[in-house]
Amino acid sequence: MNFNSTDDLPLSGIRALELSEIWAGPYCGCLLSDMGAEVIKIESIQRIARGPINPSPDGMYPEQDPGNHPWNRQANFNSTNRNKKGLTLDLKTRLGVEAFSDLVKVSDIVFCNYARTVMEGFGLGYEQVKSIKPDIIYLLMPGYGNTGPYKNYRSMGMAIDAITGHSYLRGYPDMDHTSNSLVHHPDAAAAVNATLALSTALVHRELTGEGQFIDMSQAESFMTHMGEMFIEYQMSGVPRDRRGNRHPGYAPQGAYKCEGEDNWIAISITNEEQWNLFCEIISLNLNKDPRFSTVEGRIKNHDDLDSVITTWTSARERYDVMNALQAKGIPSGVVLNCGPDTYADPHLNEREFFQIVEHPEAGIFPMSGPVLRFDSSYGSVTHNPSPTLGQHNNYILEDILGYSKSKIELMEHMEIIGTVPLPGADLGGSRRAAKEQARQKNTTLNNAENE
Amino acid sequence: MPYTALKKFTVLDLSNRLAGSFCAKTLGLYGCEVIKIEPPSGDLTRKWSDSPNSCEPGDSPLFHHLNAGKKSVTLNIDSPEGRDILGILIQKSGVLIETFQPGRMESLGFSYKSISDTNPGLIMTSVTPYGQTGPHSEFDYTELTVFAMSGAMHREGLPNRYPIRYGAEVAQYYSGNLAAAATVSALLKFLRKGKGDWLDISIQECMAGHPHQIGRRAPFIYSGELDPREQPRISASGTREPYAVGTFRCKDGFMSFLPLGARMWPNIARMINREDLINNPLFEDSDKRTANRIELESIFQGWLNERTRQEIFEAIQEAGIPGSPILRSDEVMENEQFLNREYFTLVDHPQQGQIKLTGDPFQLSAVDKMPLRPAPLLGEHTEQVLTETIGIDTNQVMSLRERGIV
Repeated sequence: MNFNSTDDLPLSGIRALELSEIWAGPYCGCLLSDMGAEVIKIESIQRIARGPINPSPDGMYPEQDPGNHPWNRQANFNSTNRNKKGLTLDLKTRLGVEAFSDLVKVSDIVFCNYARTVMEGFGLGYEQVKSIKPDIIYLLMPGYGNTGPYKNYRSMGMAIDAITGHSYLRGYPDMDHTSNSLVHHPDAAAAVNATLALSTALVHRELTGEGQFIDMSQAESFMTHMGEMFIEYQMSGVPRDRRGNRHPGYAPQGAYKCEGEDNWIAISITNEEQWNLFCEIISLNLNKDPRFSTVEGRIKNHDDLDSVITTWTSARERYDVMNALQAKGIPSGVVLNCGPDTYADPHLNEREFFQIVEHPEAGIFPMSGPVLRFDSSYGSVTHNPSPTLGQHNNYILEDILGYSKSKIELMEHMEIIGTVPLPGADLGGSRRAAKEQARQKNTTLNNAENE
Repeated sequence: MPYTALKKFTVLDLSNRLAGSFCAKTLGLYGCEVIKIEPPSGDLTRKWSDSPNSCEPGDSPLFHHLNAGKKSVTLNIDSPEGRDILGILIQKSGVLIETFQPGRMESLGFSYKSISDTNPGLIMTSVTPYGQTGPHSEFDYTELTVFAMSGAMHREGLPNRYPIRYGAEVAQYYSGNLAAAATVSALLKFLRKGKGDWLDISIQECMAGHPHQIGRRAPFIYSGELDPREQPRISASGTREPYAVGTFRCKDGFMSFLPLGARMWPNIARMINREDLINNPLFEDSDKRTANRIELESIFQGWLNERTRQEIFEAIQEAGIPGSPILRSDEVMENEQFLNREYFTLVDHPQQGQIKLTGDPFQLSAVDKMPLRPAPLLGEHTEQVLTETIGIDTNQVMSLRERGIV
């Protein structure tokens, strides 16, 4: 095992317990571990967030083959849990809670992106965990925060996107919002803010010895990324509307078709100097055209201007266009897709953005990142593969907590730990699935009796 | 209101534009004393109005947002004396945030190496569109062009139309926020080991390493299939309840939903008062509901047409279906949850009067708060910082002012 424990990484020596699924929590765990923290992801064989137990073969799996342990090969999970150690614990049992408590004693951070009351339900709310370790740093990040009328409301990234005002700004200005795709970006914003929150609390603990509870609302953390919109409304009295790819203050700006299938270039002309240079490059006397000679004219006649530009770009290769424009200092960028284009991008490659990792059950994969580059650890490989389900049970229980082999066997026997999900674990939990099954069976029986 | 957790640290904010400035602002929200260095003509974003109908004399909404809590010092760093003053300020800072084109700090005489020789504990955070190295490191950018280069944009929008960006300046804010998180982590290391560091944050990489993108690269590697631009009823997360996925019109606006798989169907049927549909053979399993989605969607739409966003929002909580109303900026400010949590923070700006600013991204329970200052006027703190931090007297400040250095 080659976990990154470079002493030079800023969070080396910090241990964090992650109780999280999907993105907001797990990506926070990635960032903490990228910076050197030991992140222990606590899952259970009673409820997994690693795709279906019996999936159909598809691109979610290496070679499109789910294999015998699909939960260890699923792309979504393996993409967003790099560098972590994996522990399973059934927190609905006394022994499970006991093991968690023992782990808390040797940890610095507990963070959780489940619904607000889940941890409390296990008897592991902040007050209880604090009584085990007084200086623990404990973060909950429900969508709308831990207080207020929506504190128990369900949420996902797309819901936060809508309620914060971001969805309102997205989409094609000539269509209504029903044409919008769902965007889960607020999950990523929450992950970053949670990382910032935990780092800040670590600094506070370093200075004062105090731990604390952190209340993070995913919505509130994301709204700091749109602060000017609310001020603009107060100053102008007009709420901001959708703009598509255009800018209200300069033109032209947009994504223009290039040579090849679904190839595009993004171009922004932000001032007159760039406009004149642009006209020179495309060798059309556009700046002499009265429709386009002023920025007001270009904004007004943006559609016409776009057709002229498209005629020029669509006959050209997208990187050539970008390089020609950038050579004159004109902001432009190829619209890279997130598959082959990013993997082939010369700049990302020169910076060694992709790192090959080898996962014990999913094979080799070019992982994305690192994103946070510290001079002191430059060039060192920071990525290890995501853990398989319960991969580090023994390491954690035996090496960290000093549990006896017989105790660990007992825990396995009682299904408190394990490496294979129980039936129904992929359907909102094995207990819920069993209940549902029993209910359906009863209904069928009743129906049979009634007939 | 800001917290005092990081009050021990001084941040020198040499940034222009958005990402670096937001990084500094965020550090200020958690206690750092942030000194913004502006050219005597003022930071570009003071006049960077994003509003089409704004020719107002004051500072832009963006400037108010990015600079609340900061102090403003004007300094002509192209003059030798200005550079000397900058050198002293760097010596006395814990964090330096800069967004110049790579190489510019060095040409000013402030490479990380030379700074760290004399201030080894300093954290220098460089936030640039493409990072410090590589063939594109000197490229200019806007939100649109760097967002395009991140891989995020290509799959946004409809298949038969052009790719479209997100609504806000997402790439820059997100990267500035990441830079802040990394900077505070580096401060922890400084406290523990006395060592500083240099951070190379690339906006392109922040967005290319975003969970949205990294999750999509795997299916491409595994199957050669690209996640394309799709019709909005097809969810990226693969739910098989497409009749209720995406954004729908209702009585007073729009709602977005994402049912999580087949187990949501009975809840949806009950919510729309059509429990009878559960046993209807046309809709009995995911495949049938997908095949007959047009019919089902029109039943769902019929229910939505009769209801307001608030009514639907409450109903989906009962039914356990993730979703939420699409709010406009003015509606967000009136939303009961944000009001209840007193999220927006009122400041009193000497020119602009009272403005409500977005509040803290998270609440620290063990740390004191302090009042939030509005964004500074140009050079508002020049004299204070020069006399208190650098120790020169008022006459010298006056002389610097006359010569256009501050």
